[in-house]
Amino acid sequence: MVVTGRAVLLAGVLTVAVAFSGSLGPWAAAVAAAVLVVLVVLDVLLAASPRALRLSRAGDTSLRLGDTAAVEVTVANPTRRGLRGTVRDAWPPSANVEPGVQPLRVDAGERRRVGTTLTPTRRGDARAAGVTVRSLGPLRLAGRQRTLPAPWTVRVLPPFHSRRHLPGKLSRLRELEGQHTAMVRGQGSEFDSLRDYVPGDDVRSIDWRASARNDGVVVRTWRPERDRRILIVLDTGRTSAGRVGDTPRLDHSMDAALLLAALAGKAGDRVDFLAYDRRLRAQVKAAGKGSQVHRIVEAMAPLEAELLESDPAGMASAILTAQGRTRSLVVLLTDLNAASLEEGLLPRVPALTARHLLLVAAVQDPAVAAMAAGRDDSAAVYRAAAAERTLAERRRVTAELRRVGVEVVDAEPEHIAPALADAYINLKAQGRL
Amino acid sequence: MTVHSPEAPAVPAPADAPPESAVRRLWRAARFPAVLAAALIVVSVLMSLGDEQFPTGHLEPGSVSPDGTRALVNVLSEDREVEVVRSSGDAAAAVGAADDAVLVVFLDHRLLPEELDRLAALDVDTVLVRPSVRSLSAFAPGVEMTGRELPRDILERPLEPHCDLPAAASAGPAYVHGELYTADPGVDAVGCYPAGAGDALVQVSEDGTTTTVLGNGGPWANRLLDRGGDAALALNLLDAGTVVWLRPDPPRQEGTASLTELLPAGVRWSLLPLAVGLVLLVVWQGRRMGALVPESLPVVVRASETTEGRAGLYRSRTARDRVTGALRTGFLERHTARLGLGPDAPPDAVVAAVAERTGDDPQAVRELLYPPGPDPYAADDEGLLRLAAELDERSRRLR
Repeated sequence: MVVTGRAVLLAGVLTVAVAFSGSLGPWAAAVAAAVLVVLVVLDVLLAASPRALRLSRAGDTSLRLGDTAAVEVTVANPTRRGLRGTVRDAWPPSANVEPGVQPLRVDAGERRRVGTTLTPTRRGDARAAGVTVRSLGPLRLAGRQRTLPAPWTVRVLPPFHSRRHLPGKLSRLRELEGQHTAMVRGQGSEFDSLRDYVPGDDVRSIDWRASARNDGVVVRTWRPERDRRILIVLDTGRTSAGRVGDTPRLDHSMDAALLLAALAGKAGDRVDFLAYDRRLRAQVKAAGKGSQVHRIVEAMAPLEAELLESDPAGMASAILTAQGRTRSLVVLLTDLNAASLEEGLLPRVPALTARHLLLVAAVQDPAVAAMAAGRDDSAAVYRAAAAERTLAERRRVTAELRRVGVEVVDAEPEHIAPALADAYINLKAQGRL
Repeated sequence: MTVHSPEAPAVPAPADAPPESAVRRLWRAARFPAVLAAALIVVSVLMSLGDEQFPTGHLEPGSVSPDGTRALVNVLSEDREVEVVRSSGDAAAAVGAADDAVLVVFLDHRLLPEELDRLAALDVDTVLVRPSVRSLSAFAPGVEMTGRELPRDILERPLEPHCDLPAAASAGPAYVHGELYTADPGVDAVGCYPAGAGDALVQVSEDGTTTTVLGNGGPWANRLLDRGGDAALALNLLDAGTVVWLRPDPPRQEGTASLTELLPAGVRWSLLPLAVGLVLLVVWQGRRMGALVPESLPVVVRASETTEGRAGLYRSRTARDRVTGALRTGFLERHTARLGLGPDAPPDAVVAAVAERTGDDPQAVRELLYPPGPDPYAADDEGLLRLAAELDERSRRLR
């Protein structure tokens, strides 16, 4: 049951009337109280029952973080009473629902659409909590209220800020293609076609045998290798929860992984995805050629950093299981944390590098670099020393990884995605995939 | 109309900690105010212990203030019974119950005329202290107030008895200034302590009982009781087995209406619809439009947390050797590669290369990078700052 401000106003008016009723006071008071109670009860009874409403949903099911999604509820009123009142489509606070409460009028036997927009501020799944309908009686003094279930989920996808780097990296990738004069030769590049010599071509690529059969000089062209396999592994353990700037390390890693997946998809490589801490959190297996970015984005959306120490042994065996015998580039997005890497990953590196090429990408914390430069007072120098120690450990781990044949990309948050893309392009150019 | 449903994964039930019971939550919320209130009560009870409250008022028998009469009552009750009464009815009953009584009446303007008449009709010796005119005519007809003698400093000069009333004569000079009375010639009266227009004390004898009129109660108050013959006069006048001490309370107002009775009936009865209205107001404002939606909040951990923690450890333990070591290692690792040296180049080579590039004295560079003896920079925090500044200076020149 609900009452409105109108009922309170009526009670106020009746109070004043009774106050001026003089010797008729007892009678007036009894009549006023009775009138109030009867009118309120009557209004509650005459209001359309919200329980009888039929709700159905439609609208967006996914959006990128920062965008706005529109969701609507269709309220059908099968009763014989018209419904007037208010409705609220409830979502978690981070979904930023607009408008919160809106007026609703559904005549008997009719349907009405109630639109709501969501501008979520957090990645993940936003779930509708229910639709609350407040139905008022004919006098608008009181009414009934009920929260009806209307399940709906809007998946908030990672924002993919690094998308803006994609055109630049793609053109770099195209430079590797044979039609460009600035061709790069590598051990793994594939023979593509023959064409006439153009001044400026590398004389070493002249195919003398073909030139002999032809009028002019013919050069061979090469194209970078295609149909290689790439496995992106996202570490969702405790080290990924730490915030660099205002964003968890995990989200920076996701951004870099998405740029790499988009780039590799365009380059004709097969991209698989894996998220792991102590167990498999998400997995996307490449289904044929073409871009897997959409599926990877979907798989990433609900991932959160777990406050667990990652299990590198399990991760290594998951990688080996996922990729089987085919040689592939394994990109591990984690943190260059000396303790966890030295004890966990380093002993397992030989098993991985025996079959695959391993690339470790990590996000640097600019706050640590800023600490290392602090000289304001003695406290700042102590902090600088601690930061130097962290940086030294990072350098040591990087050196050890490189020594066992692991590629390392270590960059600040705004540079990690392009740096990882560049590392991939370089590997491709060198034909090392 | 088709019902769309997104391919949402099944929602796992949130495995939250078991919710706190309502009692526990209430206790947590209320315990601080409850403890505070209990402490306040205990403190106030402790402070009020031993702090006896005495009644106050002019000539009040229980009052210890200068204008009270507790001293006289205590002195009297050493060898006779003193009964303090607050109304004429109680006084009459007390007089009736005692064999040998004397009635002393203070502040009799508080008594109604019929009460005065009833008291005057009692067969008992009576002492009137500064009676009203109505009281005087009821108790001692024929005695009239004829003047007032109240010097600014009452202790300047006592009044002499100048009469053969034993009570006054034996008491001697006393500070009994106040209203003065004169008895009509036909009355059997003795006047004592003459001053100007009359006597400060007049005793009238009638049918075997005496009525004594005293012009002022001040001499019997705590302040003046020990002066001159004041105390003796009081003891002499109140010489009986039982002293009935009447200090009437102010008469109670009768026949008045309370504030609620004065309000018109309508206003009183309007409280009923007002109460209903308040209930409606509570329901109106208290009813929420659906439940609050919970949100599982993510943990917030800064990635630099461990580094900050280590800095705090260094500082709290003043681990200056660690600090100097870390600063030097950072400097060397940044610059050895640029100087064309390997990561494990011997100190001599590093010193030579740095000295050559910066133009410094090799000995000074060695002191800075590889101090041979105890580290001069690790002596105090100033040293650390100096080391950091010097390393920065070399870094700038090496760049």
